[in-house]
Amino acid sequence: MRKHSAFTRQHSAFSRQHSVLLLLLLLFGIAATSVAQQTPTRTKKIKDGQPAHMRTAAPASQVAAPVIALRGGTLLTVSHGTIKDGTLVIENGKIAAVGPASSVSIPKGAQVIDATGMTIYPGLIDSESNLGLTEISAEQMTNDLVEDSDEIMPHMHVYDAFHAESALIPVTRVNGVTNAIVAPDSSDTLPGQDSFIQLAGASATEMLMIRDIAMPFNFTGKERRNETWEKRKFPQTRMGMAAQLRQAFLDAQDYAQKWDDYNKKKESKAPADGDKDKKNEPPTPPKRDLKLEALLPYLQGKKPIVLAAEQSNDLETAVNLAHEFNLKFVLNHVSHSQSVLDYIASLKVPVIVGPIYEKPKPEERFDAVYSLPAQLYKRGVKIAFASYDAHQVRNLPYQAGFAVAFGLPHDEALKAITLNAAEIWGVADRLGSLDVGKTANVVVANGDPLDVKADVKHVFIEGREIPLTDRQTRLRDEYSK
Amino acid sequence: MFYRITRFWPHSLRLVALMLALAGLGVAQEQTPAQETPTPHEGTTPVTQPAAPQQESAAPRATTPAPPSDVVIKNAYLMTVTHGNIKNGSIYIKNGKIAAVGQTVNAPASATVIDAGGRYVTPGIVDSHSHIALDDDVNEATSPITPQMKMLDAFDYTDKAIYRALAGGVTTSLLLHGSANMIGGQAIVIKHKYGAERDAMLFPGAPPSIKFASGENPKRVYGGKGQVPSTRMGNFEVQREALQQGREYRREWDDYNAKVKRGDKDAKAPKRDLKLEALADILRGKFLVQIHCYRADEFLTEIAIAHEFGYKIRAFHHALESYKVADKIAAEGIGVAAFADWWGYKQEAWDAIPWMPVMDMRKGVRVAIKSDSDDFDRRLNQEAAKTMRYGGATEEEALKMITLNPAWIVGVDNRVGSLDIGKDGDIVIWSDYPLSVYAVPEKVLIDGDVYFDRSLPGLGLTHYKEGQ
Repeated sequence: MRKHSAFTRQHSAFSRQHSVLLLLLLLFGIAATSVAQQTPTRTKKIKDGQPAHMRTAAPASQVAAPVIALRGGTLLTVSHGTIKDGTLVIENGKIAAVGPASSVSIPKGAQVIDATGMTIYPGLIDSESNLGLTEISAEQMTNDLVEDSDEIMPHMHVYDAFHAESALIPVTRVNGVTNAIVAPDSSDTLPGQDSFIQLAGASATEMLMIRDIAMPFNFTGKERRNETWEKRKFPQTRMGMAAQLRQAFLDAQDYAQKWDDYNKKKESKAPADGDKDKKNEPPTPPKRDLKLEALLPYLQGKKPIVLAAEQSNDLETAVNLAHEFNLKFVLNHVSHSQSVLDYIASLKVPVIVGPIYEKPKPEERFDAVYSLPAQLYKRGVKIAFASYDAHQVRNLPYQAGFAVAFGLPHDEALKAITLNAAEIWGVADRLGSLDVGKTANVVVANGDPLDVKADVKHVFIEGREIPLTDRQTRLRDEYSK
Repeated sequence: MFYRITRFWPHSLRLVALMLALAGLGVAQEQTPAQETPTPHEGTTPVTQPAAPQQESAAPRATTPAPPSDVVIKNAYLMTVTHGNIKNGSIYIKNGKIAAVGQTVNAPASATVIDAGGRYVTPGIVDSHSHIALDDDVNEATSPITPQMKMLDAFDYTDKAIYRALAGGVTTSLLLHGSANMIGGQAIVIKHKYGAERDAMLFPGAPPSIKFASGENPKRVYGGKGQVPSTRMGNFEVQREALQQGREYRREWDDYNAKVKRGDKDAKAPKRDLKLEALADILRGKFLVQIHCYRADEFLTEIAIAHEFGYKIRAFHHALESYKVADKIAAEGIGVAAFADWWGYKQEAWDAIPWMPVMDMRKGVRVAIKSDSDDFDRRLNQEAAKTMRYGGATEEEALKMITLNPAWIVGVDNRVGSLDIGKDGDIVIWSDYPLSVYAVPEKVLIDGDVYFDRSLPGLGLTHYKEGQ
């Protein structure tokens, strides 16, 4: 017995130590002061290991990325205008040169692709998708979208479910979407944490560029548990949702305080008040709670929450909650908040707007939602678009194009699915525009990238050409024989 | 509508697709006014079916304005669908019908002139698969055979979805029963005259359609209740049994009618049964049969059953795997009402490919792009443009998929779907090239009357009063 106890004690001590380390890491180590600062370190790790490459391609370690020159196309740089008859050079997975064909010299031995008549633009970034979490919507066994047994599930990490071999991913990237936020489905107020992915890689590890990059905070009213009168349960109302959220963040604050107290005691090495028996023992750490722990980086403002609201009343309630706990946030949807656009602008936060196809309320004009992106842009709000989908992420650029029909400038629409998104997610140092030194996620199409008629001809991810094949092209080819 | 349905599902976004597809199999039947079905006691003419297979709308009431007698749209880039494009063209609409189309038209000086300012002008869009304006009454999902359901009885002509589709250029829609049932209900064909009263929205004289379904949806609905059908075997057997009952009912009435014709005073009319009557009418060819169908094998089975019972199939709807058997569908003269690029929302949608519409078309199938949605019906022009990208449809072919081809599926291609003399003055003036994401209707005319004008404040409607 004694022996066993001793062992247990030893084991516990080890666990405790381990826990403390983890927590310290969590509190002070992993998360830097902002997403932007934090992400480079983390991705670098991944990139230093084994560069991302196509699953179907030979392992990257064996084949160096070729030097590629795209010559003679129209470059939509996003960051510094349009360059007609331009050339873009890709080297070591990065953009090595961008400029007029006349002034960019093509390195010897480069693979030259004639892009005359083509449009060249940065890989598109979807600011919310469910890629890798679902295969066939109606087949529940293929879905890992959300844990809806509880509303407060911040400790769910989409990276634990992300399915790198999903057939949806090649279907998506052949239309030029190279990066995306993967979010859990939105039926909980706090359904878990998002990851930022790249749509090529040998494994989930390579594709998951940034884990736990942000946390959805959904407050649209659809998170209420009121499906039917018989099935109703707490939180059945918005009051319930807000109270539950507030309690969750209070509990997390309390949890953080307990760890602070513990750490202070431990550092002071002072014996507890007059307790001579415990004189030489370290203070007992609080019990770890993964759910509350998951909320800490957000409470500390180290990562943003993605605050989803549609109606203006929900928006204001949710923003007040975020302010109450000093949460850093970006807004999501705002589809029915037309009456408070100036208020939204005054918050000085980016907005993932839409989907643009959200239907107006019955009393609203047909274009109440269609015109939102332009309305926000006019007020100086940084906007991005999201597919909010998995199978149809490929159609992301058409949302941006449709916003142009209602007044958003074309270059701003493209920016909303490239550079703006990269800035919001803290990866603008590597993605989002055609600039020297950035990761060579580059797309070549035979027309306007925002219009449905443009056919994508080349996609490069980290400088490697992605074969334009997927499950659907194979079926097409098989039945075209 | 779909939102409310999907609220019962845990993952609304994903399931919206499923439910759309479920709802989307509606049986369209253009409504047959009750008075068209004489009771068996009336006169000596036996009656088991509507005397006329056309949808009749009641006489317009005061709220339905008569169309302007003379309208000219000038300075337009006309995309006629049937005879090419005409730059700087004009259309003359007389009493709601197209009276002239060309570089110049002869119209009276008194005609109302609409200057299109060089913009693109197309026929109104026809949506051959819709469930709008039916509230939550899309599926009578209590029995797999409900051919006696009439969508007219659920038609909510005040639904703003009619307006939002109008603002997207849709002028005609086929409102179908959902796909829960192997044989659903009778559809209606509407014109999107938002603001008019109910009967004025019904497409006069449109033939009746009826909705069939197959595959996963009936299986899911009834299998989930522990009933037949829970398999595709059950699905088709339920369908055959119903059609057999319809065959017997028809024979009873044929026998009775023959007796009456012979002057048999003792002939006793069989008891009328609305369900059997509708089934008999399918066999009599009174309905355009619109079948929700996904899998390659199921097209073949539906064709075989149609041959067995002697009715024609007008169109397969959704038809995601139709590209695998397109030659066989073409040989039957059956149309396809397709999504442009939807896929993966359920097992039978797993082999969907966006090249399907064009692959089918190249095999000789008449293909329409339809919405099955109160979202997509607002931008069917963009959906049609996808066929130019996936498979290389020409501009005219793409446009035909949302005008003349769906008009044929609905059975009104002699009335709408192209800018041709004699057709209804259903016309869209676009802000930009219509086969792109940038085009928005500036004005939409139905029967020569402007129903939507984007430049107007408020909703942009001309025949609607707030609070109506």
